[in-house]
Amino acid sequence: MAQRLALRRLLSLTPGAVPPQGPLAPLSRTLGTSAGCRSTFNVQDGSDFQDRVVNNPKPVVVDFHAQWCGPCKILGPRLEKMVAKQEGKVMMAKVDIDDHTDLAIEYEVSAVPTVLAMKNGDVVDKFVGIKDEDQLEAFLKKLIGA
Amino acid sequence: EYDLIIIGGGSGGLACSKEAAALGKKVMVLDYVVPTPLGTSWGLGGTCVNVGCIPKKLMHQAALLGQALQDSRKYGWQYEEQVKHNWEVMVEAIQNYIGSLNWGYRVSLREKSVTYLNSYGEFVEPHKIKVCTVFEILKTFVLATGERPRYMGIPGDKEYCITSDDLFSLPYCPGKTLVVGASYVALECAGFLAGLGLDVTVMVRSILLRGFDQEMAEKVGAYMETHGVKFIRKFVPVQARRLKVTAKSTEGTEVIEGEYNTVLIAIGRDACTRNIGLETIGVKINEKNGKVPVNDEEQTSVPYVYAIGDILEGKLELTPVAIQAGRLLARRLYGGSSRKCDYINVPTTVFTPLEYGSCGFPEEKAVEEYGKQNLEVFHTLFWPLEWTVPGRDNNTCYAKIICNKQDNNRVIGLHVLGPNAGEITQGFAAAIKCGLTKELLDETIGIHPTCAEVFTTMDITKSSGQDITQKGC
Repeated sequence: MAQRLALRRLLSLTPGAVPPQGPLAPLSRTLGTSAGCRSTFNVQDGSDFQDRVVNNPKPVVVDFHAQWCGPCKILGPRLEKMVAKQEGKVMMAKVDIDDHTDLAIEYEVSAVPTVLAMKNGDVVDKFVGIKDEDQLEAFLKKLIGA
Repeated sequence: EYDLIIIGGGSGGLACSKEAAALGKKVMVLDYVVPTPLGTSWGLGGTCVNVGCIPKKLMHQAALLGQALQDSRKYGWQYEEQVKHNWEVMVEAIQNYIGSLNWGYRVSLREKSVTYLNSYGEFVEPHKIKVCTVFEILKTFVLATGERPRYMGIPGDKEYCITSDDLFSLPYCPGKTLVVGASYVALECAGFLAGLGLDVTVMVRSILLRGFDQEMAEKVGAYMETHGVKFIRKFVPVQARRLKVTAKSTEGTEVIEGEYNTVLIAIGRDACTRNIGLETIGVKINEKNGKVPVNDEEQTSVPYVYAIGDILEGKLELTPVAIQAGRLLARRLYGGSSRKCDYINVPTTVFTPLEYGSCGFPEEKAVEEYGKQNLEVFHTLFWPLEWTVPGRDNNTCYAKIICNKQDNNRVIGLHVLGPNAGEITQGFAAAIKCGLTKELLDETIGIHPTCAEVFTTMDITKSSGQDITQKGC
């Protein structure tokens, strides 16, 4: 998709900047809620992924998404909500595949949304596309329990 | 370790790279978009995907839907609200789709093990190209760098005007627009902008759709004019300022001024062949427009450098042509094939509000090549059935075929002005490739009720002088 050069430069200069989400994604609102705000984060770069996902003692679900992807905008908040319900037992990392293409390629993401379940640096489960809340809850419980 | 580097990740470059990789070669694709003066840039896929065919056809469709909404009331649809158009909603939806295409290309390159670098490439020595700070020494290169819109070279053009590179992702509605140019880009853009309800003026220096059949071109323009697009003919802009444009007549001293929200420049495109070191290795280009002359195997003046797509001198600037050329080139280089790209009888369609599809000779070129007395032109006006109920233009849609009398009335040119012209023309292009004659067309039974069937019942010739006006039935 087309980008305005100035906007992208501005975002890359601001550390920890959240890439602009479409008007449909209530990401910022969800981050504001009590349990949610600490268990979901945006991956900044490759080494951040190593630190906070691969080397995380807790299990992490990784949500590979894209700005241009409609279903991602539905799945994202839904997954965050279910992650928040697990009360800190699982973390959620969000990866924008256009910003972090190397990471997406490394984990063989072809379609979005792709969600990986990671434990101790290994991919133990995965799904592609939208799931409803019950299916997400089951997915998360399996990751925590196993 | 690489066998082939392709400079340019557009229609031609990507097709060639995937074919070469499928034949077992190690391929690298370099794609880099220099931002426009406004700062617009885009992802992998080239002009067609990002700032050409795809967004153009989608915006054309948006405009057609507007027309359909108007017609719908005549078909009995009843709704209270006034219909209006939201530019930002349309652009977001289109850009989202393009984003998915950009990603899709990255995935498909990865799946075929083609290395992609978002980087400029520059030749520094024979067989040696510089990519960022790395030097690659290779046997074979393919240039597929495509083109970018040409600016007018008048004061204010880069500061105050936009081009098609900016239009398809413009974050605000362009509003009252002046389109400078009479290329198909200019007319298609003017067409859909007007169809979305905007105030559009087209400023034309001389003729419409240079290179196309001029009878058809004038009909395309006439339809646009009766449907609200203003034309200022035989004028060229001389200065652009914030919201204002000054223009001079090409035939006298008259000077006019106009106020516009947006000025869209669509006067032509230049090949991206400067600044990549072609002079260093001796690849000849046409200094005027940057295009690359090649032989019929797409080889440039330097034997190990090939070129495909829009940058070729004297060839058609169309995505399917670039794709075909790219694929066949890879097969000739690495697959033992000797098949060359056939540039004859390539069908095209101009997606103006009234679409124009054609395959083969424009009438003027046919006359030049064969002589008027050796040609028979059959033609007809027609009224699409779907237009009858809403009472839309009668005696506007038009079709003609140009036949070579000395060759069994072989169809050497086919032209149609009407809805879905692209869909109509595609099938006939295959027929023309098989050597379609007037007799075969007459023996073909039409599908009823369609527009395309007019080609199976065309009886009136231009030479007879008979009236082709459709009376009511």
